[in-house]
Amino acid sequence: MWADTILIVVISVCTALLGEGLIWLLVYRTEKYQKLKIEVEKGSKKLERRREGMSDSLDKQQKKKIEREEERLKNNNRDMSFVKMKSMLAIGFVFTALLGMFNSIFDGRVVAFLPFQPISLVQNLTHRNLPGEDYTECSFIFLYILSTMSIRQNIQKLLGFAPSRVVAKQGGGLFGPNVTGQQFK
Amino acid sequence: MNKNYQQIRAAQQKLLKDKQSNEISVLKKAFTRCSQWDDKDEFLDVIYWSRQIIGIVAGIIWGLIPLKGFFGIILFVAVNAGIIYFYFMNFQKIDEEEYGGSWELTKEGFMSSFAGFLVMWIIIYTGVHHT
Repeated sequence: MWADTILIVVISVCTALLGEGLIWLLVYRTEKYQKLKIEVEKGSKKLERRREGMSDSLDKQQKKKIEREEERLKNNNRDMSFVKMKSMLAIGFVFTALLGMFNSIFDGRVVAFLPFQPISLVQNLTHRNLPGEDYTECSFIFLYILSTMSIRQNIQKLLGFAPSRVVAKQGGGLFGPNVTGQQFK
Repeated sequence: MNKNYQQIRAAQQKLLKDKQSNEISVLKKAFTRCSQWDDKDEFLDVIYWSRQIIGIVAGIIWGLIPLKGFFGIILFVAVNAGIIYFYFMNFQKIDEEEYGGSWELTKEGFMSSFAGFLVMWIIIYTGVHHT
């Protein structure tokens, strides 16, 4: 059983690397994306500096400047999301298929033992397709999700693919919190 | 078009070079008491990576002992938050308001550290006590 446990962690490392590699190939290395990324990063930093440096009594011109910059940043963020979206969707499909395949390989197999009794909300995941009532038995999907959660983010950070904090704070694109939500009032 | 691309590449390479030389000095600063952190991101990165290390080490220890049940999870959350809180309040003595309050620092990289902890805990526990 321990071999299965280790194998699943190795699988999740491989899929995370493959995923990031594919996204790099299709998105990150393109000139359009890199240009947008640099622009968004610069814009976010500039905007944050302005926000930090602003006093309570702002004249109209300063307000307008900040708003204009927010607008530009929002547009760039949106463009960046569009560049990413198509490839992300394609990769999403590939990974759903891969996950389905692994799921059927490990179907009904106990791959690990949990050192705790999971709450009923996650028992559906931890005990998926497993026979019996021993809820400390762990199914493939739970371990896979957990290891992907930690490994993927760390790989992104190591390779420098993770969006910088300033950008994330300003709203990470189409699916992130909207920039307009933080607009200056 | 091509020239533009070369410019971007050059800018990126410069960034990478700066980053590499920077990493060593950041490591030094991380172990020095009350260091001066001009770049907030640097300090947040230190917090992030120390969290990941704490998660993995705690996972191994918890699995070897073995600690079991929700007590293990709660103890991990307390240890993780406690060490980081002690590190930025007593060791580095930073002004947490600059980073948006101590809550922002306490939750930096918490989820991936927690996931890493659970994976290590489960692997070691299964390997040592169930095979």
